[in-house]
Amino acid sequence: MSIYLPIAELSVNIILLLSIGGVVGFLSGMFGLGGGFLMTPILIFMGIPTNVAVATSANQIVASSISGTIGYWRQGLVDFKMGGVLLIGSFFGSILGVWIFSRLVVLGQIDTVISILYFALLTSIGLIMLIESSQVIRDRVRRKTVKRKIHYHNWAHKLPFKMKFYKSKLYISAIPPIIIGFVIGILSATMGIGGTFILIPAMIYFLGMPTSKVIGTSLFQIIFVTALVTLLHATTTFAVDAVLAFFLIIASVIGAQLGVLAANKLRGEEIRALLAIIVLGVATKIALDLLVEPNEIFNISVIRALF
Amino acid sequence: MNFKIFLLIKLFVLFLISPASALVIGSDEEEIYIDANFSGKNLLVFGAFYSDPSQARDDKSDILIEVIGPSEDVVIRKKESFFGFWLNSKSVGFNDVPGFYYLSSTNEITDEFLNENNIGLLNKKDTQLIDWSALNIDWGNVKNQKEKDTFYDALIRTKESEDVYRKVNGEIQIIDGNLFRSYIEIPNTVPVGQYKVNLYLIIDNKISNEYSYNFMVTRVGIEEAIYSFSKNYPLIYGLISLLIAILIGLSGAEVFKRFRKV
Repeated sequence: MSIYLPIAELSVNIILLLSIGGVVGFLSGMFGLGGGFLMTPILIFMGIPTNVAVATSANQIVASSISGTIGYWRQGLVDFKMGGVLLIGSFFGSILGVWIFSRLVVLGQIDTVISILYFALLTSIGLIMLIESSQVIRDRVRRKTVKRKIHYHNWAHKLPFKMKFYKSKLYISAIPPIIIGFVIGILSATMGIGGTFILIPAMIYFLGMPTSKVIGTSLFQIIFVTALVTLLHATTTFAVDAVLAFFLIIASVIGAQLGVLAANKLRGEEIRALLAIIVLGVATKIALDLLVEPNEIFNISVIRALF
Repeated sequence: MNFKIFLLIKLFVLFLISPASALVIGSDEEEIYIDANFSGKNLLVFGAFYSDPSQARDDKSDILIEVIGPSEDVVIRKKESFFGFWLNSKSVGFNDVPGFYYLSSTNEITDEFLNENNIGLLNKKDTQLIDWSALNIDWGNVKNQKEKDTFYDALIRTKESEDVYRKVNGEIQIIDGNLFRSYIEIPNTVPVGQYKVNLYLIIDNKISNEYSYNFMVTRVGIEEAIYSFSKNYPLIYGLISLLIAILIGLSGAEVFKRFRKV
């Protein structure tokens, strides 16, 4: 059973589409990740054009981050003020990101740039996860517990425009969160990711936010960044595929719920290591596509069809 | 055979309404609709060599069918290796290239014949169908002729691999000496718009008569509605896409909450 995607202009199997959405949703629910970093490359492997994969992935992340944010908000774990400051940066970052993206489409380099960015992102994510999970497994065997410092004092406290963030118990300059938001905005617009993987460590290590508030706050700001990115792509690159997004959203929301349930029952490290290996596998595939000489070195793209 | 009766009746009507001529044709389609389930279609083109049925076709008469699709502008990009990475480098823009081209004949038609008679998009080389001089080409930084040829070849090759450029012979069936019919495969990758069918009756290597007509290829259905809506009202389309995401996201959280309480 297949369905025609009007913007991607190809037919795909519905079961395959729902499985991809479900599995990515499950992983994101389980590990508290956005899942965009897996969704976009998998869609590209399926033959969906890069621009459609990126823009539609952003649309899908809006739904999954709303679901996630509500859960954290009910537990009082969202710092709305910090989210708002991050968003100021993300707003400008995503506008710049979509501009860069459409320039790259015109230059015919979008596929290559996306591949290289994804290779870099997935390789680092995969390696970090692999190292982290193997350390946790090793520590567990040795019955060691890792103690973490609760509060950091760093350069973020010395810059001007200091603001009070009561929820996070922080008194820091607004500049670092704006810069972080800006970078996330660019990445979100060009890669179709929410950016949790970069946002969470940046908020912990650069801003010194308490870990408990980080996930909720990052999800909260991702709703708005990906919503903006979706609108910008819909109006400039015309690449948001509503039919594709619909099936991915349905499957990923259900998958994410099951993932959260599973996370409460399963021990994460082994699965995390497995995920790391999957991520590295995807990165390797992307690298091979860039490095192996293609069968056809010419490619055609229609830039204007006459109606 | 039903088809044959249908064909004969249709041709008979055509004989009555058309003046005595040496080529009478008909077609079963004026419009081809492409919907979500469209997997290609065989367009039927049929006719008679001579309007006088007693005048049978001889070996010297041939039929040439040409179908030209709507024009489009395309860019051909060439990948080159930079430090081991295969990246798009040089590109050439071809404007007003037909999105579909089909040439079919009862017998092998020589390139000289096509050139002499200036039929449609002519041959530069044997496999190539396009009159390059008629195209508006942006060569960019591609300078020498040999390299230009590789881009010409690539355009034809990619179009042929998408089944939108074809040159065949022997696909036209001859029935009872005087009637012919041909099924032209229209794949689902064809562009939408107006298509022109040119038919030529060739006797003794000369065009004795010719006939042209148009048909449309149109996209229909919910998918087409979504496609054109996204182009015509991009902001509203974007907002609706967002609204769907927001509603499913909210209900997902709600369902989950109840699910957890149980």
